[in-house]
Amino acid sequence: MSQKILVVDDDDALREMVGLVLSGAGYEPAFAADGLSAITAFGDSQPDLVLLDIMLPGQSGIEVCEQIRSVSGVPIIMLTAKGETEDVVRGLEAGADDYVVKPHNGAELLARIKARLRPLSEEGGNIQIGILSLDPRSFEVKRGETKISLTPLEFKLLHTLATKPQQVFSREMLLEQVWGYQYKADTRLVNVHVQRLRSKVEIDPENPKIVMTVRGHGYRVGTETA
Amino acid sequence: MNWLRKSLTAKAVLATLGFSLVALITLGGFLSFSLANSFYQNRLDQVLSETERAIGSVQNTVAAAALTDETALQNLINSVVPSLQITGTSANRQVALLRSPGQAQLELFQSPISPDLDLASIPESLREQVRANPEVLSYTPITLKRGDVTFPGVTVGAPITIPLAGSFELYLVFDLSPEQEALALVQNALVIGGIFLIFIIGGVSYLVTRRVVRPVEQAAAAAELLAAGQLDERLGERGSDVIAQLARSFNKMAGNLQQQIQKLDSLSRMQRRFVSDVSHELRTPLTTIKLAGEVLFGNRERLEPALSRSAELMQAQIERFERLLADLLEISRYDAGAVQAELELRDLNAVVGAAIASIEPLALSMDTPIEVDLPSQPVEAEVDAKRIERLIVNLLSNAVEHGEGKPIRVEVSQNQQAVAICVTDSGVGMTKQQLERIFDRFWRADPARQRSVGGTGLGLAIAKEDAILHRGWLQVWSKPKRGSSFRLTLPKRADSVIASSPLPLPPRSVEP
Repeated sequence: MSQKILVVDDDDALREMVGLVLSGAGYEPAFAADGLSAITAFGDSQPDLVLLDIMLPGQSGIEVCEQIRSVSGVPIIMLTAKGETEDVVRGLEAGADDYVVKPHNGAELLARIKARLRPLSEEGGNIQIGILSLDPRSFEVKRGETKISLTPLEFKLLHTLATKPQQVFSREMLLEQVWGYQYKADTRLVNVHVQRLRSKVEIDPENPKIVMTVRGHGYRVGTETA
Repeated sequence: MNWLRKSLTAKAVLATLGFSLVALITLGGFLSFSLANSFYQNRLDQVLSETERAIGSVQNTVAAAALTDETALQNLINSVVPSLQITGTSANRQVALLRSPGQAQLELFQSPISPDLDLASIPESLREQVRANPEVLSYTPITLKRGDVTFPGVTVGAPITIPLAGSFELYLVFDLSPEQEALALVQNALVIGGIFLIFIIGGVSYLVTRRVVRPVEQAAAAAELLAAGQLDERLGERGSDVIAQLARSFNKMAGNLQQQIQKLDSLSRMQRRFVSDVSHELRTPLTTIKLAGEVLFGNRERLEPALSRSAELMQAQIERFERLLADLLEISRYDAGAVQAELELRDLNAVVGAAIASIEPLALSMDTPIEVDLPSQPVEAEVDAKRIERLIVNLLSNAVEHGEGKPIRVEVSQNQQAVAICVTDSGVGMTKQQLERIFDRFWRADPARQRSVGGTGLGLAIAKEDAILHRGWLQVWSKPKRGSSFRLTLPKRADSVIASSPLPLPPRSVEP
């Protein structure tokens, strides 16, 4: 069964063209032209991934992103015309996994989509980080008996860090291993998602015990068991 | 002396002082001269009348006495003549009775002379004059000496006939030192008064000049600030004199200037905004075109030859269009001041290597060898590696495009505070006029030239901005038919200032 992708963009031509590219690559596109219909379309089509333009009439892409995130961990890739502005960071903070700057080519877009739809690795058993336990088969994270819901990207980020607890991961390494970037990309992706992850798994996000910052180098998981 | 040339006040005060000094010296000289004259004249009149009386009294005394012999005469003369002598501090008078020459010598007769009289006080010329004009009193000014001190005097003489003894000349030597002292007193007073006057004139002229010059200086300072961009600078407007008029006119001028500049500024801001907005608006349709072009290009084998070629052409031009749009956006970001360098310590050798690697396919296709001269040690500097790599790629692609297939040299070097990269080709080169416009937007050295590489025309303008962003230099040397050399010099630490570049321009490989 082909995977379904919801394309949210107010530009008709671009929406249709992206649909053609997606169909050509074997995906099944669904469409929405503005923020309000995007929420409805999301509920109707239950997509595996959302391509979301940030500049939408009516409800902005940021709000759409937040609403989808509140009900689902489905991968969201933002389309943006302004690669350098605050919009990118705000979109990422609203829960988008990745972003693509217009004008992008088809291969670039498909590579981003593929990276996000790649199934999580299922090998290995449960991993314990402090009081946190990760189950890579069910993608479940538990603090004691409490279940913590993470998006696939957040789970992958935490899992990548947890498989090698002794190693310090630089932002570039994480971009390659978690996001699938082969070349240098925007390190803000890592910063924002580490913040989001911490807000879910840490007891005190201001004083992280699970995802530790190694100043000047990157991140590693906390080895403290307390 | 520089401050003197700069300070209007000092100039005015010094000029006033100079002129006043000349005027005062002239006036003082004249006053002192006429005072001296009138002192002398008064004293002379007095001296002459005293002499007349003295001579009269001697003559009368001698005539009245019935003298019979020389001894009596001698006694009489000895008593009368010295009585004419006055000694004192204020009016010294000495006396001498001299026998006229050319008479039979009287053996016993002694001419009485004041004891401390210097006979040099009675010059021979005066004696001749006395003998020549017996009817009048003859006099001459002389210089008297008392110890080491000299002072003026006057000697008056008249002939006198003494019965039995013959012709004599009676001389009175007057000491004018009291007059001299009085004159000196007056002259001192004049000098002291003059000095006071000079000080007062200096002070007054300073105050007056200050009052006039100060507003001018304020206006000059305000104009300087205006020129430096502080458009809010204004002068205080008080009163209704010409100074206030100056302030008002100045403020009016500054106001108009500010308005004009703000207008231009907002126009230019609007224009930059427009460029930025247009660039962004173009992105969505360009994305669609690009995706569509890719689909066509990817399936071109299935199209007829003409359609297939069209797809190829379109694909190439879409890429060019995209580059142009990206450059436009970049320039508009610089114009808006929205560019921030992401600085990190990097080895320039690696950055240059990456740039050369990305230009290699183009260089190969143009059959242009690239010679690289990198130092063996790492060349580290705080740079935004993405921008610097883009900049070097730009220089390299220009060199390949204009190098006519001749080798391109890339040199890297460093000194204490700076690193430098120099890209040199031996191609067509540029004239001086062309060099002046080399960093202008959309400017091309030769519009008729075939664009083989297809640059956007913004490359060097962006490169210059990138260099400035790093507080570095991007400099160029070029000669027609000899080639061009671009040298980028960057500070090792972002907050430092470059003093000199580690590489010469033109490079050593180019003969001057």
